[in-house]
Amino acid sequence: MNPRLAHLLVRLYPRAWRERYGAEFEALLETGRGGVGTAANVVWSALGERVFPTLGGSMEQSRFQSWCVRAPWAMFGLGPVVLLAAAYFIACFILWSGWKIFMPEADTPFVRIDGLAIPYFQAGRLIYFSAPIVIGWAIGLVAARQRLKAVWPAVGWILIALIGGTAQIHASRTGVTGGFEHIRVDFVMGSSGHGIPDGLFHALVILSVTALPYLIWRLLHRANFLSAGD
Amino acid sequence: MRTTRHVVGTKNGSGLGHFSDPPLFVLASLASGPKHGHAMIEDIVAFCGVRLGPGTLYGAIARLEQQGWIEPLAAEERRQPYRITASGLRVLRAKLATLRQFTKAGLGRLEAR
Repeated sequence: MNPRLAHLLVRLYPRAWRERYGAEFEALLETGRGGVGTAANVVWSALGERVFPTLGGSMEQSRFQSWCVRAPWAMFGLGPVVLLAAAYFIACFILWSGWKIFMPEADTPFVRIDGLAIPYFQAGRLIYFSAPIVIGWAIGLVAARQRLKAVWPAVGWILIALIGGTAQIHASRTGVTGGFEHIRVDFVMGSSGHGIPDGLFHALVILSVTALPYLIWRLLHRANFLSAGD
Repeated sequence: MRTTRHVVGTKNGSGLGHFSDPPLFVLASLASGPKHGHAMIEDIVAFCGVRLGPGTLYGAIARLEQQGWIEPLAAEERRQPYRITASGLRVLRAKLATLRQFTKAGLGRLEAR
């Protein structure tokens, strides 16, 4: 493998891991086979090392694995929904605090902004729009690493897609006693602009984007199995 | 940690696939003597037809070392050889004994059909 690429791939691992294994791992990559498959293997492993840092041997079932088997409804149903709710809460808090800080007199925070308000509100927008995608990818990563069937991850993806696709944030002072800032999240399907309701269309987009990496992973493994029979 | 691995099957399609276990392969490879990463990969291909990706291999090495089942030897230039420890040998023996029992029972059932 190209030494420069090997170096870049090693950089994907957490610092602690690199300090212990970086040099020898880089030497292995340089002398071993290159190719897309090898690079994908390293990227996947590095991502796994960041999500689940090495703490113990996998020959004994870890507590995390045990939870995936004993309570998949919690790992792939309740857990992702709670995470998404937390992300939306943070996004709403950023919107509310930005409204208080940058435009205390405005009736709604959805107005033209400038200066520091732009990155501040963009951070909230980023959390709001990326949360369903990131959580969906995390579901796929856990399912792939734990070698689980797709049923429970699919439940998680559908829940996340439906919530993410239909959630709409509203913010206004009008109609609220005392004129306090009022922010709420509604879940609406919306109008049928594309032949199907907008909320459902967005949900399908989120579902496709989040499930796709896992489906590709499954396909690649199936290809490996088929090649084994040649 | 269980990660993506490259499975190179044998002619009869008996690649271990989902039932493979990289830490077990590494322990079995080191049972015949100390090896560095590249030698382990080739040895594992030779004895069970599975090619571990480098990320998968080092994921297994890191966990096995943390468990105290393998240990590093003096580095040879940039290569780092490892050897299996006494506790690693005990774990490997126990694991293989379980697999032998499982294989025996499974084959017995197949023959009884």
